[in-house]
Amino acid sequence: MSGFATKSIHGSHTKMDAQGTLRPPVYDNVAFEFADAQAIQFAFEGRSLAHSYSRVSNPTVEEFEHRVRLLSDAIGVIAVSSGMAAISNVILALAEAGTNIVTTRFLFGNTCSFFESTLEPWGLEVKYVDMSDSSAVAAAINANTRAVFLEVITNPQLQLIDLEALARIAHERGVPVVLDGTVTTPYLLKSKDFGVDIEVISSTKYISGGATSVGGLILDNGTFQWSQNPKIAPWAAKFGPNAFLALLRREVYRNMGACLSPHNAFLQTLGLETLSLRIDKSCANALAVARWLEQQRPRVVRVNYPGLESSLYHCLAERVLPRGAGGILTFDLQSREECFALQNALTLVRRATNINDNKSLILHPASTIYCEYSPQEQRAMGVSDSMLRFSVGIEDVDDILEDLQRGLAAI
Amino acid sequence: MVIRVNGELQTIEKEPTSVAELLALNKVERPDMVSVQLNGNFVDKADYASTTLAASDEVDFLYFMGGGE
Repeated sequence: MSGFATKSIHGSHTKMDAQGTLRPPVYDNVAFEFADAQAIQFAFEGRSLAHSYSRVSNPTVEEFEHRVRLLSDAIGVIAVSSGMAAISNVILALAEAGTNIVTTRFLFGNTCSFFESTLEPWGLEVKYVDMSDSSAVAAAINANTRAVFLEVITNPQLQLIDLEALARIAHERGVPVVLDGTVTTPYLLKSKDFGVDIEVISSTKYISGGATSVGGLILDNGTFQWSQNPKIAPWAAKFGPNAFLALLRREVYRNMGACLSPHNAFLQTLGLETLSLRIDKSCANALAVARWLEQQRPRVVRVNYPGLESSLYHCLAERVLPRGAGGILTFDLQSREECFALQNALTLVRRATNINDNKSLILHPASTIYCEYSPQEQRAMGVSDSMLRFSVGIEDVDDILEDLQRGLAAI
Repeated sequence: MVIRVNGELQTIEKEPTSVAELLALNKVERPDMVSVQLNGNFVDKADYASTTLAASDEVDFLYFMGGGE
């Protein structure tokens, strides 16, 4: 069993359900009973493997984690309540007051807000660099750096970074690379193959199977020596290569309480089973829409999609994303007013703030996700007032194009 | 052969036996949820199948899933 789709559907049958069900039931419960007092003592001490409390682990969530581990080749996966919970758990585990992380301005707005508004007052320094400038990344890393954090593909700038080159720089300095792979998932980009140590994913997007539920994932690729991180070194002495997972599972994740609900884990496991089909369709539609929009000049001023031959990242995308360059594109009109007029004329494409849904979604980032930032800050984040973000769904592409034609006619 | 697993003596009939086989013998359903030490040294997951045990070895399994209210 080596194919992505096969593994996503069948898993690996680690546990036979008590009733022999082909689809494991939802264990929508809180506590687990033990045969005797010693058994529960051993579970708490880590001397036996057992579920004890669903905030820490749960059979339905475990099934989802196990399926993702199989698809990603990570050594361990922890499912959490949202993509932001994945990011917050990882940064709180890696870093502490007096340390820093190196990242980029090209981040999801809420991630940026979490770093600046939530963590900086607690004493974490956030260093912003241009991730495509390797010398700038190298110069920013110092003895107190605990992570290099980035997204691929960035949203909504759609920048691609040479992850292998970046990982070499970080690893030479004893720092792990943390990647937000929400828009790629292990189907489009297996982060372990590109030197990424930790991957976080908002499984709300592609994985959930069509915006069914909110969830997140933390993947430890097993590639980083955790004894290099002073905070994690004591865990490395006890748990070896599992130090980061142990720190999360037995402290940070357990204490933060951002667990994935069993029902959402069930929905997201269902979503995994059709992930490759949906991503293939979404990527094919996105490329077709991007090419069509390029033909609509001068009403469309600019189209940005890494899969386009005109993209700065086309060569890199062909190398690292052979299955497709994702389902998100952006395009520029002349003004905010034109962006609003186009959106308001659409009858199929939905005006909503989500990405990688089955439905095509459109959003004006400057007036929504980035509204708390000044125009100058927005520009630094690669967001302009004349830009629309288009998350291409899996509808019949001719219907999407017909709707866009209607939108363009309205400006 | 006789080895010690989590401090308890355990008799292993099959020789040689790998770490992966020992995990199966001890009904460890989720090898990704356990750290394995062999005579005080961590064994990488990738080496579970190729690492064989000898008499008097000391093996420790340490799980990291427990805890609750």
